[in-house]
Amino acid sequence: MSALLDVRNVETFYGPIMAIAGVSLAIEEGDIVTVLGANGAGKTTLLKTISGAIDCRKGQVIFAGEEVQNRDPDAVAAKGIGHVPEGREVFPFLTVEENLKLGAWGRRDADEVARDLEAVHTYFPELKRKAADMAGYLSGGQQQMLAVGRAFMGRPRLMILDEPSLGLSPILTRTIFDVIRRINAEQGVTVLLVEQNAAAALNVANHGFIMEVGRVVMDAPTRELLRSDDIREFYLGQSDAGIRGEKRWKKRKTWR
Amino acid sequence: MLDCDAKPVLIDGQDTLAKLFRDRVGRWGDRVAFREKDFGVWRAYTWKDYDRHARQVAAGLMALGLRRGDVVAILSEDNKEWVFVDMGAHLAGCVVNGVYPTYQAQQLRHLLVDSDARVLVVEDEEQLDKVLEIREHLPNLLRVYVIDWKGLRGFHDPLVEPIDHLYEAGEHFRQARPEALDAAIDAGANADIAVLIYTSGTTGAPKGALISHRYLLHSATMAPDPLPLGPEDELLTYLPLCHAAERMFSLGSCLAHGTRLNFAESSETVIANLRELSPTVVFAVPRIWEKFYSRVRTLMSEATWLGRIGYDWAFAVGTRRADHQLAGRKVPASLELRYRLADVLVFRNIKELLGLDRAHFLLSGAAPISPDLLKWFMALGLRISEGYGQTECGTATMSRADRPNPGSVGFPLPGVEVKLGEADEILVRGPNLFSGYHNNPEATAKTVVDGWLHTGDVGAWMEDGSLRIRDRLKDIIITAGGKNVTPSLLENALKFSPYIADAIIVGDRRKYLSCLIMIDQENVEHHAQAHAIPFTDYKSLCARPEVVELIAQEVEAANRGFSPVEQVKTFRLINILLTAEDDEMTPTMKLKRSFVEKKYAALVDQMYREPA
Repeated sequence: MSALLDVRNVETFYGPIMAIAGVSLAIEEGDIVTVLGANGAGKTTLLKTISGAIDCRKGQVIFAGEEVQNRDPDAVAAKGIGHVPEGREVFPFLTVEENLKLGAWGRRDADEVARDLEAVHTYFPELKRKAADMAGYLSGGQQQMLAVGRAFMGRPRLMILDEPSLGLSPILTRTIFDVIRRINAEQGVTVLLVEQNAAAALNVANHGFIMEVGRVVMDAPTRELLRSDDIREFYLGQSDAGIRGEKRWKKRKTWR
Repeated sequence: MLDCDAKPVLIDGQDTLAKLFRDRVGRWGDRVAFREKDFGVWRAYTWKDYDRHARQVAAGLMALGLRRGDVVAILSEDNKEWVFVDMGAHLAGCVVNGVYPTYQAQQLRHLLVDSDARVLVVEDEEQLDKVLEIREHLPNLLRVYVIDWKGLRGFHDPLVEPIDHLYEAGEHFRQARPEALDAAIDAGANADIAVLIYTSGTTGAPKGALISHRYLLHSATMAPDPLPLGPEDELLTYLPLCHAAERMFSLGSCLAHGTRLNFAESSETVIANLRELSPTVVFAVPRIWEKFYSRVRTLMSEATWLGRIGYDWAFAVGTRRADHQLAGRKVPASLELRYRLADVLVFRNIKELLGLDRAHFLLSGAAPISPDLLKWFMALGLRISEGYGQTECGTATMSRADRPNPGSVGFPLPGVEVKLGEADEILVRGPNLFSGYHNNPEATAKTVVDGWLHTGDVGAWMEDGSLRIRDRLKDIIITAGGKNVTPSLLENALKFSPYIADAIIVGDRRKYLSCLIMIDQENVEHHAQAHAIPFTDYKSLCARPEVVELIAQEVEAANRGFSPVEQVKTFRLINILLTAEDDEMTPTMKLKRSFVEKKYAALVDQMYREPA
């Protein structure tokens, strides 16, 4: 198998609670893949397991042919996985520039780093203007840009993003997603995207996984997902209003 | 309708359900009749509560102008209102037609048009929407009552009202004409039609079987001597009440013996509800018994080393004891002693876990069950009786717990005659017969000939004089080589595997037999997880070569008990997760053979092109 990332039968626990009950997924190099699911489905846990922020009890995470599960997060990052955590988590008391440079921590190719910084500034011109400001003073949208930029500075082969649209206006969401698409197309970075905003995520991704209570229940190209009645009703909020012009009940999910 | 000059059937001198109900309320007024969960707490309803609501429903129907023989349809999961409306309709002399809540609007339309229902009671908004979609086809429908009004505030329609309005209208009517209701009860007769049951119809459109009070009273007295049901018994009502089996078992034993009913919260919570309730009488379809078994198997595969040793030892003891009992020998004292020890150490825990620790009467029915499964339960110390019947004849035979004989469906019930006709078809005669198909005299004439019901099942007599079911007549497969094969035997052997939920064997006029298999999602996922077999969704699980190999081994194991021509040569997995809403499944979660064969014809053809 030549998948860039191959997650196999991963089980992750919080104490006695099983957050991921055996998830397998494979991501090909160059793809944008999204993982959708309700709160508590295990999406964030899955990303954290991939990036080494938490250990799994069972299973393997194989990145570029090498097992990386249960390694330290910095070792995983050095292998080429850049994690943009949920809720941005920038360093508030450092400047924008310092935050971005921290993203390149450990890189010795100073010229390349400078070029990447330039690229981040092209993608997010606002970050250039605010370079000397403390990150804590940025707006939510700018902080999200910074978090994405910071991950990019690590030169990842795979970028994993946890709800980049969280708390953002529709316009900002579009900006962020446009940049994600460009980073993928122009820099060849593979993207794994977890989202609540299903419409936006399905718009950029070419493949999707649906998770429910710790399991993958659907695995299909986005084209097919967009055709599925379940996805339309439960994730995109499209349902025929029914004969009375309103409908509160939901049909049972079948995932097909 | 059939002319039936059968003798009337009475219980305690009462010849209709309504009269028997009046008698029971008089005797048992303050006792608990049933329980239902309300926000997580079991709430009890006495016979007086039952009586008040049933009478309000009856009077409400009469106030609407319904007459004897008019049809009242119920479209709901099992709940107390279902039972109130059911008995209310009987009191008023109306005919009850239960409809599976899994039916889609067009299936519902066929039923309601055919039954000419005047009043329909629906569970909630979801069910109501189905009715509104087809309302222009139902000109004779006077009113739709909704049990749960949630989501309908602000909805106005002259046809639709909350069920409370029915109760209120009934209360007014009762005060205005207090004598009318008892007069209606008195007017009922033994041969009157009480219920209309549409047979699940694996071929063609469903047919409405007319069921009389005689039939239902007969079935309520069915259990063989010694009759193990009483007023202290508890049972869980979880199969659809519109199905003849659950109606006879739940409503019948409640009315005849005072057995308390407990309504399961939903079809998904049955296993949990059984566990918290520990019912004393359990009726289940084979699928549920299989589920019990595979749960124990899965738990054991995860148990500690010591736990597994204990389980294996206990089952060896239990199996030897069961072998003695099956052979009709006395169990040696030392073996009995070891069994007691095994019971204390192992079996009791298992039974508690399954909610079967108090069960003293266990019954399987509605589909054939694997004898191996019955033996497994017997080793555990649980004797499951097996009943045989169909909508058209209620329960015809039942096996006796004191004379266990897995594979046999027992002896005809008192008053019932059973014989084998042409091609060994089982023929039944007695007070348990239905009264014909609604609006379909041709089908009735084909089914009942000279007073004998032609069941369409093929049977054989066993050495002890009990009946064994071989298969449905039309399911018998004749291979290209001219060999007659009964698929259900091997199908049951396959279903005994914890990894196989259902199987359908095909091969009529073909060179060899092949099989379509539906895997047991829970257990196969568990297996995959334990053996590091990566999969994403159900479809990819079915496509994994390791899973196909696992099923291949199970198929091979099941094949071993059969002669080469009766063995399955190849199989395919159905890779879509089916639910009761799907056309492939009956509401009792059985695969419909003819439908599946048609729908997966491509898959079947493939099996004969590339057998590997």
